[in-house]
Amino acid sequence: MDAANPVFAPEFAIEAEGLTKVFRSRWTGVTVRAVDGVSLAVRRGTTFGLLGPNGAGKTTFVKMLLSAVHPTAGRARFFGRDASDPPSRRPIGYLPENHRFPTYFTGTGMLEFYGALSGMDNAALSRRIPELMELVGLEQRWARVRVGKYSKGMLQRLGLAQALLHSPALLILDEPTDGVDPVGRVHIREILNRLEQQGVTIFLNSHQLVEVEATCDEVAILHKGQVALTGRVKDLTAGKGYRVTAIDIPEPLVTELGATASAFAVHEDEAEFQFVAREAMNDALDKLRAAHCPVESVIPTTSTLEEVFVKAVQP
Amino acid sequence: MRITLALVIDTFREALARWIFIGLFALSTLMILFFLFLMRIDIVEGGMAAISLFGQGGRTQDVERLVQSVYGGIAAFLYTWGMALAVFASAGLIPRVLEPGRIELILSKPVSRTHILLGRFLGNVLVVAGNIAYLVLGVWIIFGNKTGIWAPRFLAVIATTVFTFTVLLTVVVILGVLVESTALSTMITMGLMILSPILAQTAVAERLLSSETSRNIWRGLYYVFPKVYDIGNLTLKTVRGAGGSIEWMPLWSSALFGAVMLAGALAIFSRRDF
Repeated sequence: MDAANPVFAPEFAIEAEGLTKVFRSRWTGVTVRAVDGVSLAVRRGTTFGLLGPNGAGKTTFVKMLLSAVHPTAGRARFFGRDASDPPSRRPIGYLPENHRFPTYFTGTGMLEFYGALSGMDNAALSRRIPELMELVGLEQRWARVRVGKYSKGMLQRLGLAQALLHSPALLILDEPTDGVDPVGRVHIREILNRLEQQGVTIFLNSHQLVEVEATCDEVAILHKGQVALTGRVKDLTAGKGYRVTAIDIPEPLVTELGATASAFAVHEDEAEFQFVAREAMNDALDKLRAAHCPVESVIPTTSTLEEVFVKAVQP
Repeated sequence: MRITLALVIDTFREALARWIFIGLFALSTLMILFFLFLMRIDIVEGGMAAISLFGQGGRTQDVERLVQSVYGGIAAFLYTWGMALAVFASAGLIPRVLEPGRIELILSKPVSRTHILLGRFLGNVLVVAGNIAYLVLGVWIIFGNKTGIWAPRFLAVIATTVFTFTVLLTVVVILGVLVESTALSTMITMGLMILSPILAQTAVAERLLSSETSRNIWRGLYYVFPKVYDIGNLTLKTVRGAGGSIEWMPLWSSALFGAVMLAGALAIFSRRDF
C-alpha cells in the first residue's frame, strides 16, 4: 500500500478516485463533462459490472483506466500501482468495444502480435495460442485464415482469446458478447465463470443487463458521468418474493402479517403484503383463509437489475 | 527488444498486406532487370561494349565514367521519384495504427506510447531502407560483375537516401499523430521536397530579393527545412568521386529538423486522447 495514499490498497484490482474527464472542442471551446468524479473500487477475484445508458461515460471511464484517455482530474490504480504507469497494465487483459483488428492478420498472427506486446515469449505463445483458440471455440483451421474473413462473432471470440492470452489477473471486457449468437454467449459466460473461480477479477462493461445480473457480484450504474448507484447485485435485486393482496382483514391480523412481511401497505379495506420467502407467503395465506378474508391475488414479484437500472437513471 | 521487434514486424506485415512493400520491391526489381538486360546484350566485349549501348561507343570515354554516370542517374532517381514514391507509399502506415478500435488495444498493453510510436517509425524506415538497399546493391553487383569496376562509394547512396527519407518521415509522423490524415501528411512532405531545391538557390535569392528582411526569411527557411536537394547533390558528388571536402551543414541541420519533428510527434502522441 502506498503510505501517502492510504485509500489505495493492492487488495483491490481496480481503484478509481474522483476520475473526471472534460472534453473541450479545439475550435469552439465547448466543453463536455463525460465523466464526473467517479470513484470505484473493485475487489480482487470478483466480477464487477459497469452499467449505464448510452453516453453515460462508461467507455471513457474504461479508457481512462487504461490510459488511452488522460483524466482531467482524479487517479486510478491497478493492484495498487498507478494505472498511468505502463508496467501496471501487465496483468490486464482487455477487449475493447468496436474493436478493429487489422485485417492483414491471421488469427494466429494477431495473437502473436498482441501476446508479444504483453511481454510473452515465443515458447509461451506457441503453447497458449492453440489452448486459447480451443477455449473460445475457434476451430484450428481458422488459425491461419486472415481475420478479414471472420464473422463478427468469431472476431469477438478471437478478441477474447487475445485478452486471455497472457493469463491476466484482471480482465476488462467492453461488451464481450456483442455480435455473438446465443450459444456463443452461454459459452463466453461459462468461460467467465470459470475464470472467476480461478480468481481472475473481471470488469464487465455491458448493456446486457441479464448477462450482468447472471455474472456479476457487484455493479455500478453510471448516469451522466456520475455514479448513480453502486452495490452488490444480490442486495440491489433483493425485492424478489411474493405480493399477497386481500380485503376485509381484521386489524390484529394486519399487524400480525405485517410483522412477518418484508413490507406491507393498507388502502381502505384492502391490504398488500410483500413476502420474501415462499413459506412466509403460504403461512400468511393459511391465516387469511382461517380468518375468512377474501384473497384478491398472489403475485410473484421480482426486482430485476433492469428495474433497478431504470429507476437509477430515470429523472 | 521483443516489443520493438513485434512493432517492426507488424509494420512489415501491414506494408506487405497493403502492397506497399511489394510495389516498391517490384519497382526496384524492374530497375535491376533493366540494367541486367542492358549489360547482357553484349557480354563478350564486357564493360566497354556497354558504352556503345548507351550511344557513346564512338567516344573515348572509359568504362569507369560510364558506371559513375549510371550510378549518378540512380542516385538522382532515388532523390526525386524514389523519395516521392517512398513517402507516398508509407505515409498511411502511421495514421492507420491510430484508428479508433485499434489504438486503444495497443495502448492497453504494458508498453509506453514513446515505444509504440518509435517502433512503428523504425518499422517504416526499415521497409523503405530494405527496398533502397535491394535496388542499390542489386545495381552495384550487376555493374561490378559485368565491368569489373567495384565502386564502394556508390553504396553511400543507401545511407544518404535512407537518412533523407527518415527526416521526411518525421514530418509524416508529426502530421499523422496531429491530424491523422494520410493525404495531408503526403502533401506537406512532398511540398517540403519541392521547396528544397528552390530554397537551396540562396545565392540567386540574395541577388533578387530587395529587402534584408526577405533575405533573412529566405535564409531562415533554408536553414530550418530539410535539405533534400543539398543532400542529393552531396550524394551525387560522392558517387562521382568528385574531390573536395564534405559540407556537413545540410546533413546536421536536416538531422536536427528531423529530431525536433520526432520529439514533437512523441510529445503530441503522449498527450493525445484516443
